[in-house]
Amino acid sequence: MKIVIASGKNEADFLIKLFRDGRHKLIVINESREYSNYLSLNNDIPVFFGDSTKRYVLEEADVKQADVLIALSDRDSDNLVICQTAKKVFNVKKTVCIVANPKNVDIFKQLGINSVISSTYLVAQTIMRESTIENLINFLSLENDEIIITEIEIEKEYNIVHKMLKDIPLPKGVNVSCIIRTPHAIIPNGSTIIEPNDRLVIVSIEKNQEPLLRIIQEKKKNAKR
Amino acid sequence: MKRDRVLIVGCSRFGASIATNLSLKGENVVVLDEQNNSFRKLDDSFSGYEMVGNGLDLDVLKESGIEQSKMLISSTDDDNINIFIAEVAAIIFLVPDIYVRLNDPSKAIVLEHLNVKIIYPFELSMNEFERMRSEGV
Repeated sequence: MKIVIASGKNEADFLIKLFRDGRHKLIVINESREYSNYLSLNNDIPVFFGDSTKRYVLEEADVKQADVLIALSDRDSDNLVICQTAKKVFNVKKTVCIVANPKNVDIFKQLGINSVISSTYLVAQTIMRESTIENLINFLSLENDEIIITEIEIEKEYNIVHKMLKDIPLPKGVNVSCIIRTPHAIIPNGSTIIEPNDRLVIVSIEKNQEPLLRIIQEKKKNAKR
Repeated sequence: MKRDRVLIVGCSRFGASIATNLSLKGENVVVLDEQNNSFRKLDDSFSGYEMVGNGLDLDVLKESGIEQSKMLISSTDDDNINIFIAEVAAIIFLVPDIYVRLNDPSKAIVLEHLNVKIIYPFELSMNEFERMRSEGV
């Protein structure tokens, strides 16, 4: 694959090391002379010194027809121009960029950038996950919260213990994809029985997550106090 | 929502002159800039609104009245920022009349097919030079 890494600092260095397995053609562009030298020496590859938002720089770096261009500037507007120029002028197939402002994730996708990553957004999600009081629950969201994957540990007082999946009144739009019953991972069907300490991996749409958790965590009527 | 305002993002000398000019013609003008002291470039006769904020933030643009704007001029000193604001104005806020100043003409291609009018100071200067030269001034 022909991969272009435009701008950026630590991320650029890290990515170069990740992609450097000889199978890919790497093109690296950086607008700081000092950092270009550093990247070049540290990774033993040629680095183009120039402002990636300028067409002639992308031209000289020969980015045309690249499979992926990754824009890593800390200025969102620069990343927008780099990606759009790469697509419109140089027929780069896929553009990826980071954004500092999480609000720009949706906007940049609307403006045609294939993949937009906000570190703030991801950090916030991780913090949210890590600080959930109930350590029994982990969740991951995809497609900007449209899809949630929830992993939940089943306690022995839960109502659903010893019930078959098909007999549990789960909300619509919910899929129990996998049950981890250490050391096994089971792909369940309707007749699978839920056991205590099972970890259920459930895919659902965002609005069903709360009712889902309520039903699962409902305790048996005669549970001890 | 009625569109009756003019929003100018970036109180550069260019933005400031347009602001004063349109304000004198009776237009309802809002000027947005990140720095308070940029507004010093506005003439005393300017009778519109001054807002301090970052034009790259959509919430700030909304607060500045972009949804009620019939015209937007993106006149910051940074081409890339101007392009971003113009695209947001055209695609997300559907502002009918959008002007952008671009120092680097080669960047214009990303605004192709968008309802954005581009002003090239470079081109205007070249034309003026040619004109002066041919008139033997």
